[in-house]
Amino acid sequence: MTGAELLRETFEIQGRDFDKAGEISSEIKVTLLDLGIPAESIRRSVVIAFEAEMNVVMYADKGTLTFVLTEEEVKLDICDEGPGIADLELAFQEGFTTASDEMRELGFGFGMGLPNMEKNADDLRVETEVGKGTSVYARIRLNTHG
Amino acid sequence: MNELTHGFRIEAEKCHGCMACMRACPTRAIRVKKGRASVIPQLCIDCGSCLAACSTGAIAAATVGFAELDKFKYKVAVVTPALYTQFPLKHAPAQVNRALRELGFDAVWEYAVDIELIDLAIRKYVKNWSGPFPLISNSCPVVVRLVQVAYPTLVNQLIRVDAPRETAARELKRRYSKKLGLEPSEIAAVYIAPCQAKTISILQPAEGGGSSLDGSVGISEIYNDLLSILRRGPAEDDPAGNGNGSSEWFHWGAPEGEFPSLSQEHYLPLLGLSDIIKVFNDIEKGKIRNIDFLECHACQGACIGGNLTVENLYVARTRNLRLISGLSLPSQAMGDEIARRLSEEDFSLRAPILPRNVEGRDIDLRDRVARKKRADAMMKTLPGLNCGLCGAPSCRNHAEDVSLDRAETVECVFLSRDRIDVLRTIYKKTARGD
Ligand code: SF4
Ligand code: SF4
Repeated sequence: MTGAELLRETFEIQGRDFDKAGEISSEIKVTLLDLGIPAESIRRSVVIAFEAEMNVVMYADKGTLTFVLTEEEVKLDICDEGPGIADLELAFQEGFTTASDEMRELGFGFGMGLPNMEKNADDLRVETEVGKGTSVYARIRLNTHG
Repeated sequence: MNELTHGFRIEAEKCHGCMACMRACPTRAIRVKKGRASVIPQLCIDCGSCLAACSTGAIAAATVGFAELDKFKYKVAVVTPALYTQFPLKHAPAQVNRALRELGFDAVWEYAVDIELIDLAIRKYVKNWSGPFPLISNSCPVVVRLVQVAYPTLVNQLIRVDAPRETAARELKRRYSKKLGLEPSEIAAVYIAPCQAKTISILQPAEGGGSSLDGSVGISEIYNDLLSILRRGPAEDDPAGNGNGSSEWFHWGAPEGEFPSLSQEHYLPLLGLSDIIKVFNDIEKGKIRNIDFLECHACQGACIGGNLTVENLYVARTRNLRLISGLSLPSQAMGDEIARRLSEEDFSLRAPILPRNVEGRDIDLRDRVARKKRADAMMKTLPGLNCGLCGAPSCRNHAEDVSLDRAETVECVFLSRDRIDVLRTIYKKTARGD
């Protein structure tokens, strides 16, 4: 169903490194742009990658982002060894955030992370365990329209 | 894909191969091979950075010549507000208009009404927009082209409202054909332009539709003539002008003034390509929030600093502020005219703006990936020095050029040392002085 895997790359995300935050999503954008992926699919992939990257940077010590391109979709798997999410339903509500005031002053943690990812993914799955970490699996179809 | 029209010519004989243009180009559209610069047309966004960087005069802006306009029976100048900032303030806008008529235009269109109308249309568009924010202004052709080439994900965020210069051209043709009994095709709407990018937007609109303007004349092209007319001419009334003296159009040439009536809180003026690129990168990630509208001008100082303007940017800016401070309130007649046209006209773009088809993106995805892998592998063999001696601005660009069969691996001086000798002979011939 997902077609053959054409490209796979794994990036390390450094927690608490706000200075470098966003570099991985930029790199993914450049790759997708070079490959001539439809604009709308790039836009959605980049938003998801950025939100995921930010979540790891904000809450975890470290994590990884795996980017996979198949003939039909972009897969983004983001796994971290962070605190986990206690109430997943709550975390999917727009505006809900556990970010500190400091983070928000920096412009992060407006509680848009998961809702924004959900909005932009064709399929989004979250696995989380308090004290262990969180994994987000996102799928973005390579749609030619839009 | 149609042949792309660009606003620049590179005259090979004058080019010294110094690479200044290659390094200045924001979209990496220039290559310098065998000591001569050339442009990859699909990547060029007509920003003029190469023109500004070229010290030998090899890169020249192309505008539509004045003479070509003679085939029209009636010529109307549509004047960028930036023009009025180019002359000392004692030469009031009305006198500049008179000088334009003396130069050969039959009338001068003051498009305060058009600007006001587009302002209203944009506000309505922003209010009704349900897609992702921020919306991006499309009045600077360079910004539109930058989005098409480097930010295809944002094309839908370019606002699909006409530019005032276009609605002005349509309206003036209606008006004068009725008044003079001429066919619209016998009337020329000629834009007095601050940059060649606007000329290109007339010759080849980004959205693929047509332009209602018939051509453009760069400010620098007629500057000396206008100035000498102004110097000898007495102050006079402006009998043939169609304006009402409200001078409202001055907002439009100014930074932070394109849409003065939009909410200040949710609108952001952006000047200069490098700042625009930074902000666009952040928009793509979804990092810019709570901004409804971005007013973007590729030039520092907006159109007042366009590459076909003459006056020092800061002198012109001061004059612009003085002109704005002298604004009077819009007249009743102007208000009536706005209300009339608002109810009768459609201000949306005639065709959608699409991403530009950049070379090599049209083959099978599998092949594109294979090509990228080839470029990545080649990158590992290159020094990462970005010296430019291969003719591409960076090692990455060289690797990509090779993967696109646009260059040969051996052009890198690190990979084949005899390249240095080739270059030595080329540059010995072209170097002047020392
Ligand atoms: S006009 Fe701008 S984009 Fe085009 S080649 Fe020159 S510097 Fe590059
Ligand atoms: S800001 Fe104005 S002058 Fe400069 S490129 Fe854009 S339209 Fe032309």
